[in-house]
Amino acid sequence: MAKYDVVVIGGGSTGTAVARDCAMRGLKILLLERDDIASATTGACAGMISSGLKYMDEPNIVDMCSDEVVNFKRIARHVMEKNPIITPLLEMSDISSGGNFAEEYSKRAETRDVPPVLFLTPEDSLKIEPTLNPDLIASIYFEEYFISPFALCMLQALDAKQHGADIKTYCEVTDILTKKGSITGVQYFNRITDKMESAKTRAIVNAAGPWAHKIAALAGAKLELRLNKGAHVILDRRVVNVGVIAKAIEGRMIYLFPHENTVLLGTTALDTWEDPDTLVASQDEIEYLLKSMEWVVPSIRDARIIRTMEGVRPLIPTWKIPEGDVTRGYEVIDHEPEGVSGLISFAGGKLVMCRHMAEAATDLVCKNFGIEAECRTHIEPLPGNSDDVDILALAKEYGVSQHTVERMRARRGTEIVMILELTRDHPEWKTTICTCEPVIEAELRYAIRATFPQTLNDLRRRIRLGTGPCQGTFCTFKAATILAEELELSGADFQLEIVDFLAERWKGKRQSIRGEQIAQEELAQGIYACVGNLDQALERLDYDLKPWEEVL
Amino acid sequence: MDLEVDIVVIGGGMAGLVAGIRATEEGMKTVLLRKGQSATAYSSGAIDVIGYLPGGTMPLGSPVEGLQGIASMYPLHPYGLLGFTDAEPDTVSKTIVEKVRMAVSWLKATLLGSNIPLFGDIDSNLDAVTVLGTVKPTCMIQETMWPGSLMLDADGVALFAGVRGLPVFNPRMAAQVFLEHQISNRLLPRKAGHHVLDLAPFGNNYNISSIEIARYLDNEDNLSVLAKKLKKQVERIGATHIALPPVLGFNRARENQLALQDLTGAHVFELLSFPPSVPGLRLQRGLETAFVNGGGTLLVGHHAKMESLKSNIVKKVTAVGPRRNFKISTKAVVLATGKFIGGGITGTENGIRESVFDLMTVSESFRNATSTTPQKLTNTIALSHKGHPLFGSGLSVDPQFRPITGEEVHAAENLYAAGSVLAGYNYPAEKSGLGVAIVTGYMASRNAVDYVKGVSA
Repeated sequence: MAKYDVVVIGGGSTGTAVARDCAMRGLKILLLERDDIASATTGACAGMISSGLKYMDEPNIVDMCSDEVVNFKRIARHVMEKNPIITPLLEMSDISSGGNFAEEYSKRAETRDVPPVLFLTPEDSLKIEPTLNPDLIASIYFEEYFISPFALCMLQALDAKQHGADIKTYCEVTDILTKKGSITGVQYFNRITDKMESAKTRAIVNAAGPWAHKIAALAGAKLELRLNKGAHVILDRRVVNVGVIAKAIEGRMIYLFPHENTVLLGTTALDTWEDPDTLVASQDEIEYLLKSMEWVVPSIRDARIIRTMEGVRPLIPTWKIPEGDVTRGYEVIDHEPEGVSGLISFAGGKLVMCRHMAEAATDLVCKNFGIEAECRTHIEPLPGNSDDVDILALAKEYGVSQHTVERMRARRGTEIVMILELTRDHPEWKTTICTCEPVIEAELRYAIRATFPQTLNDLRRRIRLGTGPCQGTFCTFKAATILAEELELSGADFQLEIVDFLAERWKGKRQSIRGEQIAQEELAQGIYACVGNLDQALERLDYDLKPWEEVL
Repeated sequence: MDLEVDIVVIGGGMAGLVAGIRATEEGMKTVLLRKGQSATAYSSGAIDVIGYLPGGTMPLGSPVEGLQGIASMYPLHPYGLLGFTDAEPDTVSKTIVEKVRMAVSWLKATLLGSNIPLFGDIDSNLDAVTVLGTVKPTCMIQETMWPGSLMLDADGVALFAGVRGLPVFNPRMAAQVFLEHQISNRLLPRKAGHHVLDLAPFGNNYNISSIEIARYLDNEDNLSVLAKKLKKQVERIGATHIALPPVLGFNRARENQLALQDLTGAHVFELLSFPPSVPGLRLQRGLETAFVNGGGTLLVGHHAKMESLKSNIVKKVTAVGPRRNFKISTKAVVLATGKFIGGGITGTENGIRESVFDLMTVSESFRNATSTTPQKLTNTIALSHKGHPLFGSGLSVDPQFRPITGEEVHAAENLYAAGSVLAGYNYPAEKSGLGVAIVTGYMASRNAVDYVKGVSA
């Protein structure tokens, strides 16, 4: 049986950060993820690595967030972007918390290389963002950094791997083994091999997000979380130049953030007891977001909604207060005092804190092991961030469009040279497979070979396949042939891959389907059902219903 | 500019073009408005009549069999409506089959002399092979798409041949899917090979589209290049049949097929494919040519505008173009604007709407859908034989194919509807799209012509 120092459970932002930190400090690591890297909470977030604007009452957290932004700029600038954000004020009451925020933000602005908060006239506001309601009386301007959550997790996982960690996706922990109150190992079901497997370990870091309490329970430990769900509505393109923050119908703040090629409208915050696997955005959440944003961006309903997504936040369990008043800090819980030695769990936290959380947990692991090792995760760059990339020169050299090269760079930084090199022997791999993003065949082949995807869905998280306006209508079958060739799938598994990917896309498309997206779906049904006849293939292919499809 | 005509057809897909061609054949002065590209042009070019009963999972051996099932179980299906005439109850099924046979045979005869002759009839469904290697039942295909004896030949060897840089077709996966299907169902053939051809049309070997290759092969000189490469592969694996993506040409597809067969000694056929679709475009062009040659007036890039229906008779339609609008006085109107792709039906969070006359819409099960959120008309499962009721929503019509209002009376005496703007059938699941378009276009046109002749007399 394989022996590890630490088993990390969960492949989200925190789990991959822990695996990286532990591996860099010389520990033997196994990361177990029940689905794929960044497939749950992290994959449903907006990617903002906030300077802490929402937590002005918690200055320690604001300091930490600001420092972490600086750290990310050092290690992961290739998967980051900086977005200006405008908060338009339609009436004086909108300004209530503005003063304190401006002061706190501006105090730390210089270290992050952003200007202090500015107050803009209506004229200047509209010049920057013409879609704003012209009746605004002023606006607050500031800048925030965003990171691709998928890329961050993937790069942390790959870096952990390069430092010797084993990363296993599609492995769901079914039991935690203990002896005399100490962790001795884990049992898990490997969905790729279809077998129960196990590993020995001295310690477990439980970074299972909204499932963390269930993992703790496997070891007989107690963990309480306040689970809170949030929805995003995704628009087909950059309908705004900058981020827009607005007061929602009940006074919470919501936002419209540019995100990759799209814009995200979010988010809701509702306490939830549902199974995170079955959750989809509700009609109420979608209309709440549209209605709230409509005041400051009146044309928002003209935008084409391509889909929605829903995630669950594992908040620290503070009760009888609104979600917004729950601390956004995190807790690292050592379960030793309650008699489970070697188990460490997380509660709370934000994307921006994931590296910091990992450092704290790894420090604790090292202390328990009696090891002295320095954390270097904030110093060493993540893969692909070693140098600048000359888009124009590469586009010219390899005969690939500048747009394609730039989108590729935003995922892999300097590593794109390895992708482009593949086209020397295979010029046909310069063919665009996903036209929305765009993604060329060489990038697909490279991602399949270098980043351990098992499904088209995994490829979506790695290279944004099928995430544009057509939502996989035109790329699914093309990409499936490439995946099938690379993984040597049978004809049946190749068809199943198509149906599975369409099922996952439909999960998000269905809730908000309207306007042009109905025509898009008719086209998709025309391709895959009417011509491809795959609608008749589910039984023959042993298609398993997805959790959200089983719900009545 | 103003126009005065007998019949205005709104919509230039299959239903509209059939209605338009039929009207000109009857001597009607006809104008047809086409806003943009039709769903017909996006189609695979195969003509489905009925492949599965609604919600069914058994492929139908013949459209006749399916029509008989619809006659007894789905009277409000557009095919079912064909039986709502003065016929005796026990002849309903026969009436439906005969009307469908008449319309389908008419189309076949209409395209007989064109460069896209059709193969098949409603007495049997054909097993058409797609670029995925899957097989689907369809009624008629273009001659260039007929696999010949492939599935009857115990010694048959299929060669799936793709083109380097054409991403729509991966011959290796298609051959694998096809062979797995045939073998697990104890069908023929039992051998298939695959090959990727280096064709580089116009010098490109990446980002190639089917349309590019079709244009390339419309030039006679380029065919021999393809033939030579194919012949080598035929000899290598002993292929009896060659499956190509649909790229044989826009104008010379049939000649190219015959020439390739001569040069390679194997039966050559095109697979069913996805948009952009060369066979779909061939079908669109073939029908438009027939319409214009028959004396019809085709206005491309124009959509129809009608504020609302006030009187019981539509007398004027405004054609709105990019630079000009004109009023058309007419005696009858055929509405063939399609569903969501065509834009005849739209859906917002407030409900399902008809776009030209704001007519009442209904769901697949004929409930008023005017204020139904589209999401409510969908299933949780993306792709299943049940389809999504959303794509069965549209207009409810009387047996004359006149749209009806809430009170179950027709919206106007001289307004007829045809094709996918109609409710009550789920074409992606049933495989009935172009068939319903042909038959309803044919019947709506006949009723409109009768109406015009009646008021003119």
